[in-house]
Amino acid sequence: MPHPGLLLAGFALVVAITLLLAWPRRGLVARARRLRRVTARVRVEDTLKYLFHRAAEGRDVHPDALAGALQVRQSLAAELLEQLTQRGLVEPHGDDGHRLTDGGRREALRIVRAHRILEQYLADRTGIGPEEWHALAEEEEHHVSPDELEALAERLGQPRFDPHGDPIPTATGELPIPDGAPLTALDIGEAGVITHLEDEPADAFDRLVAMGFALGRTVIVRERGPQGAIVELDGRARTVSRACERAVSVRRGAEEPAAPARTLADLAPGTSGRVRRLSSACRGAQRRRLLDLGVVPGTQVVAELASASGDPVAYRIRGALIALRRHQAEWIEIEEAA
Amino acid sequence: MPSTSMRTRLPARDESLVQLGVRSDQWDYLVALAGNPNTGKSTVFNALTGLRQHTGNWPGKTVTRAEGYFTAGGDRFKIIDLPGTYSLQAASTDEEVARDALLFGEPDVTVVVLDATRLERNLNLALQVLEITPRVVVCLNLMDEARRLGIGVDPAALARELGVPVIPAAARRGEGLDPLRQAIHDVARGAVAPVPRRARDFAPEVEELVTEVEAAVRAADSARPNARWVALRLLNADERVAAMVPPEVARLADAARWRLRPDFHDLLAQGLYANAERIAAAAALTGARKVRFDLDRTLDRWLTSPLTGFPLMVLLLAVVFWLTIAGANVPSGMLASLLVDTGHPWLRGLFAAAGAPWWVTGLVVDGVYLATAWVIAVMLPPMAIFFPLFTLLEDFGYLPRVAFNLDALFRRVGAHGKQALTMCMGFGCNAAGVVATRVIDSPRERLVAIITNNFSLCNGRWPTQILMASVFIGALVPAALGGLVSAAAVVTVTLLGVAAMFGASWLLTRTVLRGEATSFSLELPPYRPPRLLQTLYTSLIDRTLIVLWRAVVFAAPAGAAIWLVSNLGWGGRSAAEHLIAGLDPVGLVLGLNGVILLAYVVAIPANEIVIPTVLMLTVLAGGTPEAGAGAGVMFELDAAQVGTLLRAHGWTTLTAVNLMLFSLLHNPCSTTIYTIWKETRSAKWTAVATLMPLAMGVTLTFLVAQLWRLATGT
Repeated sequence: MPHPGLLLAGFALVVAITLLLAWPRRGLVARARRLRRVTARVRVEDTLKYLFHRAAEGRDVHPDALAGALQVRQSLAAELLEQLTQRGLVEPHGDDGHRLTDGGRREALRIVRAHRILEQYLADRTGIGPEEWHALAEEEEHHVSPDELEALAERLGQPRFDPHGDPIPTATGELPIPDGAPLTALDIGEAGVITHLEDEPADAFDRLVAMGFALGRTVIVRERGPQGAIVELDGRARTVSRACERAVSVRRGAEEPAAPARTLADLAPGTSGRVRRLSSACRGAQRRRLLDLGVVPGTQVVAELASASGDPVAYRIRGALIALRRHQAEWIEIEEAA
Repeated sequence: MPSTSMRTRLPARDESLVQLGVRSDQWDYLVALAGNPNTGKSTVFNALTGLRQHTGNWPGKTVTRAEGYFTAGGDRFKIIDLPGTYSLQAASTDEEVARDALLFGEPDVTVVVLDATRLERNLNLALQVLEITPRVVVCLNLMDEARRLGIGVDPAALARELGVPVIPAAARRGEGLDPLRQAIHDVARGAVAPVPRRARDFAPEVEELVTEVEAAVRAADSARPNARWVALRLLNADERVAAMVPPEVARLADAARWRLRPDFHDLLAQGLYANAERIAAAAALTGARKVRFDLDRTLDRWLTSPLTGFPLMVLLLAVVFWLTIAGANVPSGMLASLLVDTGHPWLRGLFAAAGAPWWVTGLVVDGVYLATAWVIAVMLPPMAIFFPLFTLLEDFGYLPRVAFNLDALFRRVGAHGKQALTMCMGFGCNAAGVVATRVIDSPRERLVAIITNNFSLCNGRWPTQILMASVFIGALVPAALGGLVSAAAVVTVTLLGVAAMFGASWLLTRTVLRGEATSFSLELPPYRPPRLLQTLYTSLIDRTLIVLWRAVVFAAPAGAAIWLVSNLGWGGRSAAEHLIAGLDPVGLVLGLNGVILLAYVVAIPANEIVIPTVLMLTVLAGGTPEAGAGAGVMFELDAAQVGTLLRAHGWTTLTAVNLMLFSLLHNPCSTTIYTIWKETRSAKWTAVATLMPLAMGVTLTFLVAQLWRLATGT
């Protein structure tokens, strides 16, 4: 029988190689698979999407901008635009720019629909966090078949908006225009209700999510400077950079909340409060469960019992004693009883 | 009566019933039983059907279904127990199944079971059911609990508010069942035609849209009874319902959806609860005494306070374990002496007298019978004690408090506090632990609990652990300390299993289970005085039947396989000897040997027979089968004899230690694998649950063997 030391060394080698190959998403096998899926069709679809998004901003597209967005050589970008022009999906416009034709716009809407439905699926039906929705949807949108997509849309109840607040184009290609102004448009002291959080650039989005920005929350601009602004988000002060500010769209004319929002987590045992809202950060199966249990605006909730470890806490909701974890209690905004 | 135009669009009722897996035979009326979880629905079901029931699955789903029969007023009723749900929004499989059964199965009567102590929340479901069908009977259950807690509900007032018959009941005590049967009969026959008062209090702009769509639905089909509900479902983009209406109506509803507020779902729930609150207030009895409410609060304070909560928990668990081990000793011994010591030779004699050939006797008596008898003797007494005790704690209402206290710990590894409970059940039997995970309704947490349940050292593995610890580890110290040391060794292995469970949970939620949906909620029901004798009796019967069933189905073939592999062969040696020789090199690398590996392969069905099989294979491979009880015949010895025998065949302390570790960390027994498959209906997760512990066990024994040998220089 071989020497134990030798066997151990062999074992360590096998483990190292397995990890290198099979690590989820970053292992060699996963990377190779991803690389193989980036076909010509995928590039074409990404180009159409890019043109669509720039058109929404009223801008034409040049090959160098496209090359930067898709992370490819400029010559390849020019080739792609040429291809699409020949197929009648793109036409020249302005000085040296390109834009989508009607046919191109229809194609682009199809892909955008796939992207946003996938994001909604990830947000609503899985436990995957907000930071990953966009990247995962970016990949899968090219590989989901029309049948699969429709089945998914049906399962989700034909959602109208994706988790960022973007409207989802219908199967027949209609897309309502979202209303809302960027946060930068709010005056000092003006309040707005968040209707949309832009998912690109990704680091701005991640930072916003980490600070607690979510659809439906009220934000008030307190101070503004060249680098960004200081805002009040549900009573808590937050510093946001310019890039972050641009990524947030709000509906103007919101009422300033009377007092900073308190959540269920702030209730001391023995005290009660009335539910005001369930934060939109609570989503999917979790949200439905809380609604089913009676956590709806107007419900009286009493914090009755803390567990031996302090978390979860049991609340009396609609006659039943329900234990909720602290992070769940923080989603439930309340008005405390006098 | 539904109009013919609706009939032609809907599939014929019989067809839908077939699709739902309900046979249209031998009954006059179909009853559906709905209600929140934990309302005593199954008690009502059992009380109505008695033994005339059976459980199966909804077609194509992993949801179980119980159905049964009862007679009332001369008519035969078939009753189907729908899954317990909080709502009918069809957001989960349970809700989908319940909704489909009500909508397409068109039961003649729907009985909604409400918990009188949590009326408002329960009314949420009742109101949703009333929106779909008017032929409803409300069973206001747990009235005895309500009385005890000082909660007064007036059934007559509730009936007035809802517009349907309301029957007060305490199903556990058998109260209210006859009136319930009568009410079901009356509604089915049409003698009583309920006129439910349906209303949801919506915000004006939502109300406007709903009315618009409702009008369109009604215009297309004037006789439809649930136009408002159809309108609401259309606004929720319910495809099944959309298929029921003409295309123009569906298009109108679709266009209307764009005008809905983003928080539409919240408003729906809010409207429903506003109504529920109003009704509950109207039905509450004024002047009800607050009787003994403080007992519940006091109990909760003691059981969940940081100072007393944990010690009490540990104490209770220790008592349960001690009672199980101490209490099972004598019965196990008695069963063993009856079935094995007496029964086995007697059966042999019988077969010999009948003139059966040697191989028939061998296969049937030495193989099949012996394995089955062994499993029953080892398994039955501990199960018959452990599970009734647990059921008592559950009935009492204590177990959710355990989950409540321990949740913080489990949350850190991505699991649910209730996993503490399924883990404890696993100490009795892993298959039972897997079934117990049904109380965890969040998909991800449930899968974690199922896959890691195997790390609980089940009853069947205790004999192996105790034997190895006392023979090999206890023997390392002076006799006076022997007992203590071997007990400590077993406890260490158990705790290692718990640590493995936490580690595996953490790993699973970060890798394979990362994307699964998750939602946490834990309800703490009021304490209920347990019906001692009733619970013990039903639990005992349940457990005994399961053990016997399992013994026959899984252990019997294993016994046959063991006998065959030891007696059939080639080249003058049995297949077993060939396999042992082949597996020996692999076994030695792992610090085990070929005998152990072969024993584990044939003992996949049952961990209880590992040691007897090991002993039999040892003497077989050693060329002296007569030292045991013959080739293929499992046997047992006392501890000292076992030590002598095994050491004579090359067993060392390392072998024993690694056997203990491997016994903890190996694939689940075949009953558990089968149960996991049935509960998840997923080949992928069953494979993960089977192979992950095995991989961990092989890795650990490998590492321990190499390090041990390096350290001791062997």
